[in-house]
Amino acid sequence: MAILFTLAWRNLWRNKRRTLITVSSVLFTYLLAVALLSFMGGFQEQLTESMIRQDTGYLQVQDAMYLDEPSMDHIFEYGEEVREALAHFEDEIEYTVPRIRGFSLAAKEMSTRPAMVNGIVPEQEDQLRDLSGNMVQGEMFGMDDEYAVVGAGLAELLSLEIGDTIVLIGQGFQAVSATGKFRVGGIIEFSIPEQNNTMVYLPLEVAQWYFAAGNRLSNLLIMTGGKDQIRPLAAQIQQELDEEWYAVRTWKEIVPDMVELMEMQRLVYSLITWVFYIIVGFGIFGTILTMLYERMREFGILLSLGMRRYKLAMVTLTETVIIGLLGVFTGITAGIPLIYIFHRFPIRLSGGMADYMYSFGMEPAFRFIMSPGIFMTQGIIVFVITLFIGLYSMRKIFVMDVLDATRS
Amino acid sequence: MKTVIETKGLSKTYTNTAVPVEALKDISLEFKEGEFTAIVGPSGSGKTTFLNVIGGLDKPTKGKVIIDNVDIASMKESQLFDFRLKHIGFVFQAYNLIPVLTATENVSFIMLLQKRPKEEMNKRAKEMLEQVGLSDKLDVRPNKLSGGQQQRVAVARALASRPDFVLADEPTANLDTESAFNLLDIMARLNKEENITLVFSTHDQRVIDRARRVITLVDGAVDKDETFDRD
Repeated sequence: MAILFTLAWRNLWRNKRRTLITVSSVLFTYLLAVALLSFMGGFQEQLTESMIRQDTGYLQVQDAMYLDEPSMDHIFEYGEEVREALAHFEDEIEYTVPRIRGFSLAAKEMSTRPAMVNGIVPEQEDQLRDLSGNMVQGEMFGMDDEYAVVGAGLAELLSLEIGDTIVLIGQGFQAVSATGKFRVGGIIEFSIPEQNNTMVYLPLEVAQWYFAAGNRLSNLLIMTGGKDQIRPLAAQIQQELDEEWYAVRTWKEIVPDMVELMEMQRLVYSLITWVFYIIVGFGIFGTILTMLYERMREFGILLSLGMRRYKLAMVTLTETVIIGLLGVFTGITAGIPLIYIFHRFPIRLSGGMADYMYSFGMEPAFRFIMSPGIFMTQGIIVFVITLFIGLYSMRKIFVMDVLDATRS
Repeated sequence: MKTVIETKGLSKTYTNTAVPVEALKDISLEFKEGEFTAIVGPSGSGKTTFLNVIGGLDKPTKGKVIIDNVDIASMKESQLFDFRLKHIGFVFQAYNLIPVLTATENVSFIMLLQKRPKEEMNKRAKEMLEQVGLSDKLDVRPNKLSGGQQQRVAVARALASRPDFVLADEPTANLDTESAFNLLDIMARLNKEENITLVFSTHDQRVIDRARRVITLVDGAVDKDETFDRD
């Protein structure tokens, strides 16, 4: 077998320039594909993290009907049953973030605006997303306070200042009329205009009183160590809770549109990488065909001398595989530091692009993901493509007429 | 003397041409061990076809090729590969060395396919290259050798595995006079020393003058079969 490898290896270097060009084309295609997918992976990771931190948490406990109809009619009782159920999983759960939220009308004197009233526990929100870090005036309330913090946009729309009073009118639990009058103790700024112009925060218990909700919550966000294993954990928590009243949902179930969008994005990027692969595939195929046809006579002689077809076929296959492997290994060698650089030092954005990213609550930077899976998968794909091309040359050897080949 | 090759009623007709061409017509011949035979005749007389058929590279339309008591004309392709490897040495007109292998590796190649022990292979390859006067070119690749030197490596390759017979298709056709004589001297010496049967197809008078048996083919049939005492 050593001689077969020797033959294949030396054959490749008979035309150094051609082999180097082909290996380079594999290398650059591999690098492009890995860079593209690492970029996309990084972007989606950022998007997911942002969404989990801003909105969904990894898991949520909700009323069984809240997902279909997120209203005050579908809030759930945050009592002993839920607490005990979660206590079983204290090793898996890092912390929880309770929220109650509902639409109301916010008014100051003659001005009114729609508002999203949120009852929160500030310490837990800060642990999740450093909400207090967005305060621009006043202070974030404590749980003993009874004042409101409003979005900077809403404050401007209603001409609210610290110490002013805001009146909230809405619908509470079971159609109870929700009305309240609160002092504005802080103004908070968000980069997402929708949040900035509508958010009103109240201490959780104050908001529960305002909505006449007792100890009920709209959502209880559950934060775990990461995205892995959240589906089985959701199922296990669900087993501890009455399905008729409670639903434990993963972030993917809560924002299916976003998940679909990401899947679509993944598909588009995969298609682009396949276009690269088809192009490089034809490049390798061209090289292999040239190498094959310019040596037909030589192959004929080898077969005449008594070399078995399968051995000769192995030589041509090995040549193709070496090209593929050289491309992939140099690709991995060059790719790891390259992707690491973009992972460690992301591409910073400015201007409109930065604002756009901010509007999604994301850091305005493209940070590439370092995923061994991407390097491996792309390597395997290139290897399979070269193997497939190698099979063509093998087939040619098997159907070759020895005499015709020696005369060629 | 032992018969190495025997052909009985050998015919070959090419039907993949506009008009069927009878390349060989009812050829019955015997080649004895240690013979130095030249197959001669004008172009298109069937010399190369005859060599291809007795070398198992082409199948006859009719007749038998008996080597070592076996009719190779009825063998399957896979059996023929092994048969050629074991019993036949080839020398081609255009040298046809493997360009990426050194002279030693080229000479060892057939023994390598025969799975001979490495030490035996290397020893024999060096010995053969010494015999053809190329002991100073052991690690040189074919592109650094002259045509005559390449053909000598090809002869060493053909003889190294000690085949039952060697078929040489116009081996001197591409050589200058000095190289041709040099090669013929070597082949004649090896024919004697190794007692290997040599069958040449040629129209080179230099080869014909060395051959102890000359078979003339005309239009695919044996026209003359003459024996000469060259000693």
